[in-house]
Amino acid sequence: MAHFITSKDIPADGEHLDKSKVAKLQNICGLIGGVGTLVSILLLAFTGGTFQGAYAFSWLFAVFFVLTICFGGCFWTFLHNLSNSGWGTSVRRLMENLGFVFPFMIVFCIPFLFPSVQKYLWEWMPAYATETAAHPDYTASEALLHSSDPHNHLLAKKTFYLNPVFWHVRFFAFFIGLGFFIWLARQFSIRQDTDPNPGTKNLFAARKHASWSMIIFGVSLTFLALDWVMALDFSWFSTMFGVYVFAGSALSGMATLILTALALQKLGYLEKVVTKEHYHIMGKLCFAFTIFWAYVTFSQFFLYWYANIPEETRYFILRNTGNWNVLSIGLVILHFALPFLALLRSDLKKKPLFMVVICIYILVVHMLDVYHMIIPERGPSVGLVTHQEKLELFGSSFQVFGDLVALVIVISGFLFFYLRNLTSVRLYPNRDPRILESANLSN
Amino acid sequence: MSTKVRRVYGYLAEFKNASQLYKAAEKVRDAGFKKWDCFSPYPIHGLDDAMGMKRSILPYFVFIGGLTGFCTAVALAYSTQVGLYPTVVQGKPSNIFTIAAFFPVMFELTILFSGFTTLFGLLGLMGLPRWNHPIFASEQFAGVTDDKFFIAIEARDSQFSADETKALLEEIGGANIELVEDDSE
Repeated sequence: MAHFITSKDIPADGEHLDKSKVAKLQNICGLIGGVGTLVSILLLAFTGGTFQGAYAFSWLFAVFFVLTICFGGCFWTFLHNLSNSGWGTSVRRLMENLGFVFPFMIVFCIPFLFPSVQKYLWEWMPAYATETAAHPDYTASEALLHSSDPHNHLLAKKTFYLNPVFWHVRFFAFFIGLGFFIWLARQFSIRQDTDPNPGTKNLFAARKHASWSMIIFGVSLTFLALDWVMALDFSWFSTMFGVYVFAGSALSGMATLILTALALQKLGYLEKVVTKEHYHIMGKLCFAFTIFWAYVTFSQFFLYWYANIPEETRYFILRNTGNWNVLSIGLVILHFALPFLALLRSDLKKKPLFMVVICIYILVVHMLDVYHMIIPERGPSVGLVTHQEKLELFGSSFQVFGDLVALVIVISGFLFFYLRNLTSVRLYPNRDPRILESANLSN
Repeated sequence: MSTKVRRVYGYLAEFKNASQLYKAAEKVRDAGFKKWDCFSPYPIHGLDDAMGMKRSILPYFVFIGGLTGFCTAVALAYSTQVGLYPTVVQGKPSNIFTIAAFFPVMFELTILFSGFTTLFGLLGLMGLPRWNHPIFASEQFAGVTDDKFFIAIEARDSQFSADETKALLEEIGGANIELVEDDSE
């Protein structure tokens, strides 16, 4: 057993990530993210036609992928506070910093407010506008029932939820609501660092507020997923969809946390307080959420596949048309079977090199999972496809290029804000009453 | 007065608290004993390291058990539903593409077989169930379910010696040292 960590080993004013060490990376990321976002916003606002539609999907894919990671950060922060945990005190600040990227993400979400983008992504919006304009004497629901397109009749029953005003209210409510609560959780933790009377006051406050923060988190994640991704095809619905997105969020959030902790240790930080035991626990959580993801994804698929009711199977039929089923079936092996077997052994979870590889792998397959949620809708929605057979896995190479560009831009922006959060406060809550318990963790 | 010869089980020593037990365990481990055990009213984190215990081989049994369950389920579902007597429901094909319908069976049998292997493997490795344990002959040992901490070093350990082991237990802070004799018939 390694040396027993006492309060003498913990620096009195904590560890700070030296800004100069990451300044170069942060500047490059800020430049790519900033310029890229600006250009993308201009492209999405002013170009027309199929390019605009195709790139809108690329942008949603990239933004939603990074959002799920931020959601993961929020979840682990709230869960750690709520469950009164001691094991993760030394990595808790990383969770808070990851979660606190969420409110900044609204910068990348500006394009979703443009009608020119909305009309490609969410087809219920133009349908709603057209029908209410065509039948001014009726309510929205009645107007849609009088539509000549039978698909709109399905929308008629959903106008209490899918109407433009409520949608825009929710858009801001997600960022203000969850943004405030993750800010609050992080604030309690930061205040503890400089509290002149160190004690449990801030810790208990964080725990108390975590209870309803968790509810806000659940509601935000579920309805954001419903509004932005499930509503890509307004006629389809799944009560499992929020849980499905959550499973991927918690998994990829934890993978990001492990990568961050390993990178910081490589730079010479967190050496006293984070040990292989922490990687073991975090690896176990990755393992658990790999299984949970498979469980939820399969149960969503299974009931629809068995019942075989036309309006319920749309989502899966689209994802099994053309060569999309390569990805659908591939995810079973790539997202479940391989990581399941790789993470099964306990001694491997304590090896840093192995964890780096598996966490990057998890993030890549999670990216494919988000791709599988969003991009298949692009063909039918943008009108690029006239025949079902032309639904291709990756579309044209030009579209894939757009997907990659959007991904690089949004990930750069995410890294910029993440590094900003990491450098602005101490790397771990060194005055938390349970920091020694966490540093001497054994499981 | 009984003249019966009794088998010596080993020495039992009491320790004040969990921290004392932990430190004593490290010393017994370093002295090279193999057949000995710690007793405490509650689990102590890190005690298995302090005792120098190796990882159990149970996980390997469980993995093999789970794999057996998985293969059994695949074989069962495939042979009955595709080979012997296909049940065609809602026009679902009766070939390998029906595999989604078999997943619950595969999952359940994997869990069931792993669960059974865990339970019975654990009992087997621990030598349970058994009617009695020689250490129950000690009167003071009843306190272990309440607030007492003990270390027992067994006589069948190759390093055991009546005097030196007692001296060792005294040296590392053991109190109420008792030579436990097997009183079972």
